[in-house]
Amino acid sequence: MSKFDARIPAGPISEKWTRFKQNMKLVNPANKRKHTIIVVGTGLAGAAAAASLAELGYNVKAFCIQDSARRAHSIAAQGGINAAKNYAGDGDSIYRLFYDTVKGGDYRAREANVYRLAETSVDIIDQCVAQGVPFAREYGGLLDNRSFGGAQLSRTFYARGQTGQQLLLGAYGALNKTINAGQVQMYARHEILDVVVIDGKARGIICRNLVTGEYERHSGSAVLLCTGGYGNVFYLSTNAKNSNVTAAWKAYKKGALFGNPCFTQIHPTCIPVSGDYQSKLTLMSESLRNDGRVWVPKKKEDCQKHPNQISEEDRDYFLERRYPSFGNLVPRDVASRNAKYVCDEGRGVGETGLAVYLDFADSIKRLGKHTIEERYGNLFEMYERITGENPYEVPMRIYPAVHYTMGGLWVDYSLMTTVPGLFALGEANFSDHGANRLGASALMQGLADGYFVAPYTVTDYIASNPLETINESHPAFDEAEKESSERIQKLLNIKGKKTVLEYHRELGKIMWDQVGMSRNKVGLEQAIKDIQALREDFWKNVYVPGEANTMNKSLEFANRVADFLELGELMARDALYREESCGGHFREEYQTEDGEALRNDEDYAYVSMWEYKGDHVEPDLHKESLVFENVKLTQRSYK
Amino acid sequence: MSHDNMTIHLRVWRQSGPNAKGNFEQYTLDTVNPHMSFLEMLDVLNERLTKEGQVPVEFDHDCREGICGSCGVVINGTAHGPQQRTASCQLHMRHYKDGDAITIEPWRAKAFPIVRDLVVDRTAFDRIQEAGGYVSVKTGSAPDAHAVPIGKEVADEAFDYAACIGCGACVAACPNASASLFTAAKISQLALLPQGQPERKRRVVAMVDQMKVEGFGDCSNHGECEAVCPKGISIAGIAKMRREYFKAILTGK
Amino acid sequence: MSQVSESKILKFYRSQTGRKFITGVTGIGLMGFLVVHLAGNLGFFIGGDAVNAYTAKLHSLGPLVLIVEIGLIAIVLFHAILGISIAQEKKRARPEGYALHVSGGAPSRMSPASKSMIWTGIVLLLFIVLHVWQFRFGPHYDTMLPGGVEPVRDMYKVVVDVFADPVWVAIYMGVMVLLGFHLRHGFWSAFQSIGAMSSRLSNTMYAAALVFAVLIALGFFVLPLYLHMVH
Repeated sequence: MSKFDARIPAGPISEKWTRFKQNMKLVNPANKRKHTIIVVGTGLAGAAAAASLAELGYNVKAFCIQDSARRAHSIAAQGGINAAKNYAGDGDSIYRLFYDTVKGGDYRAREANVYRLAETSVDIIDQCVAQGVPFAREYGGLLDNRSFGGAQLSRTFYARGQTGQQLLLGAYGALNKTINAGQVQMYARHEILDVVVIDGKARGIICRNLVTGEYERHSGSAVLLCTGGYGNVFYLSTNAKNSNVTAAWKAYKKGALFGNPCFTQIHPTCIPVSGDYQSKLTLMSESLRNDGRVWVPKKKEDCQKHPNQISEEDRDYFLERRYPSFGNLVPRDVASRNAKYVCDEGRGVGETGLAVYLDFADSIKRLGKHTIEERYGNLFEMYERITGENPYEVPMRIYPAVHYTMGGLWVDYSLMTTVPGLFALGEANFSDHGANRLGASALMQGLADGYFVAPYTVTDYIASNPLETINESHPAFDEAEKESSERIQKLLNIKGKKTVLEYHRELGKIMWDQVGMSRNKVGLEQAIKDIQALREDFWKNVYVPGEANTMNKSLEFANRVADFLELGELMARDALYREESCGGHFREEYQTEDGEALRNDEDYAYVSMWEYKGDHVEPDLHKESLVFENVKLTQRSYK
Repeated sequence: MSHDNMTIHLRVWRQSGPNAKGNFEQYTLDTVNPHMSFLEMLDVLNERLTKEGQVPVEFDHDCREGICGSCGVVINGTAHGPQQRTASCQLHMRHYKDGDAITIEPWRAKAFPIVRDLVVDRTAFDRIQEAGGYVSVKTGSAPDAHAVPIGKEVADEAFDYAACIGCGACVAACPNASASLFTAAKISQLALLPQGQPERKRRVVAMVDQMKVEGFGDCSNHGECEAVCPKGISIAGIAKMRREYFKAILTGK
Repeated sequence: MSQVSESKILKFYRSQTGRKFITGVTGIGLMGFLVVHLAGNLGFFIGGDAVNAYTAKLHSLGPLVLIVEIGLIAIVLFHAILGISIAQEKKRARPEGYALHVSGGAPSRMSPASKSMIWTGIVLLLFIVLHVWQFRFGPHYDTMLPGGVEPVRDMYKVVVDVFADPVWVAIYMGVMVLLGFHLRHGFWSAFQSIGAMSSRLSNTMYAAALVFAVLIALGFFVLPLYLHMVH
């Protein structure tokens, strides 16, 4: 057993959250304004938490690296948000959403947290509608639902293909209301460089003003990291260019444990890489697989032919062939892995040979172009804008891409890391999605954590702990600022030969090849060595242009890549230790005869928790055993 | 599809800080691939400048999917460039041909001061939203989502306005540097929805007044904003905003 | 019941939206006047008596004419002052211009007409002063209407005299072209400014603006030429 306690309330799963709320300690309204709460990141989790905590009466400081709180990467989520409303009357319930999420996560998530997520999901929809979020509606005026991967019910609420945007703008509105009321101070274009820990508790942050380069100190009673995921460790991902791990990584180095770092979601339907200049990947909603058929040529020599010239009998609809019952609608991890296999066999298409076709010709024949246009018109347009090809006439080319990281800072039931007073919300924590996240669940988690969980658990923490006022001239701030500024200066002083981009690309290649869709012992061990060598070289030979006291995005990127170069190693290490295949983590040594993921519940039904021990020392592995009392563990099968 | 690299002649606005004097610098790139996005072409330029020991061109960008609203430059005189309903990040170099010259400028408006090179300060937009671009609903106090039905047509129209990404192209393209389309989009969205009714009058007056405080110009109905808006938001919203404003002034408290 | 207080009117007048509303309403008023004026001008194609009878009829309305005249002056002044102020605001809002400014294309309404509103407007303002000075306060000749008892002003002669000079004909015709430009954007813009526009109406009104501008401008355009030619 771990020495770290998840502090899950006692009682039946359906009563845990209610009991927590009933038993939590409260802060007197007059005292709330004496407490400053620092919220880092203004995505769904951050904006929702900042607004909700400010409404309660706390003094909130919110930080984001973008020029406006509205630009956080939650904005790019397309598909939708799940909620157990059962508006479709198809038998949905909190338990079913909970069950699907635990199962979809391949039984590597913590039951109590997931149940609470399902419970609060219903309140989220109410909240967002009240804010004026224009969800899709039926002619009768009621909310429309659709179904999404991994669920047999219609429980996904959506706003065209821009659900994330609409939800974020709702939260941004709530944040603006509190800013206008003077309850929140907003710091845009500010990047957190360190967490300040005093007497074992998180009491502040050091951040850098990205316009002037000045270092700033902010103290508070609690620090909430709502800083998203770390998919950009792969260089190419669907994440925004500025998404990074720095805040979480600094927290890790200050004593917060990192949970399940190797759990990465690779999304099957992305627009493939077209050349070395590629800077990021674009996701195409997974809803496309409802009507598109995935195939590659049977023969290698057909791969460079025009797809419309390849006859039906020369096409391999490999998902339909291998998974007759689910076909093109297998879960994300299965679809991604199979695309990789056929490309590894040399049957990939496109210039790079790293793509498979997603063909709508049959659907257009069956349903008519108009119907397809109505369903996917905006996606087809986006595809054409990027590739210059018309998917109504030529099959789309798609390839998997890194999309989401299920791993993150380990948190207890209160979403508090192992550093008291330091919380992690949304994608930044590890808690709800296990080894694989279901579609339309990320938005749900971000908002649940921000609106409905943190406001209670942060209050409970503040009420339960004596928190005397901390002066920002405290030596701990001096030290953290000194470390941060020295590192920035060091990056500028190396004046080597290679650019940050070159290092980032190299790291990405190691990660994608060895710590990507399928992993093995030899490759992972090699990856650890390669990353270490690359990191060492980085600190000797990187060239960062410009100065520290102006806007300097090259410097910002250098600082983030430096952290990715450390995180990558931890991910490889975590993947190496987890000798099983589960969800997005596929170890080639652990597969069934048919090549499917083989879980090992006996030995690996735990959350790996990594403890930082020093820059040149291997981290310690702790384990939180996962106990499943409410769902039965089964092997997933989509045959 | 051409695989040949193109040569592109760039004229880029360089300005080292808000108060510095700016000027155009010329650069020639001879390895521009037609499949590159416009911002990837700038990445190539910056990588070269870095290798040559020069300071790269600063420009805002983040999602590169046309939804975050971070990016935006004036390309040969048009905000976000020649392709409509497309943010700068989704514009691709296949729209140019070998030997083309491209002038790149930042958004220019008094309310959007230049931070550095092509980066401008758009916090004026945030302050307009802070003035009233929301429904005041406390967390956890909302009624059931089905308590108030909203017709599909109304919800769809509200969505059309809600799609604004806050990039600022409307201001950049407007001959008067007016923020009317941006402000009208939020006002129209919330005025259409039942949830927006209680604060309807207060909202429109506060937001319209804030536009002026920020130093944006008047709207003279050129409609250039709609043409460059990556989401194609209609200037019918501006007419709606005006109706809302008159009603609020005439009948408000 | 709510009261429209003085401060509210002032606030409205000072706000960007309020100012556009006033330019729109005054613009619509002036367009209405143009239609009436053009209709009145038709008399010139009939002959001197028709024109003089029409002016005499107008003058017989007494103080009502004065009220309308003062009203028109007020409308012109409001329209002009706000228009100039909006144009100045525009300079303040973008102190440093672009090296290049190219339209994004349809559905943009930006055109030579929309961009020159301030200049066509200033010319029209000066023209109105000139026009009123030349005709309203121009020379007074007496004439008798058929069957009339008292002499009336021979407005026809005043106008014909002016347009005997090809320079005046050219000036008037030139200004009417500018009026066409002003109306081409102004007609549509006025309705957009007062909020009387929806996405469905927009294209129709924009097309109607072109028709209106051409008809009005053409109507005024041909008269000086006609009078010059027939006399």
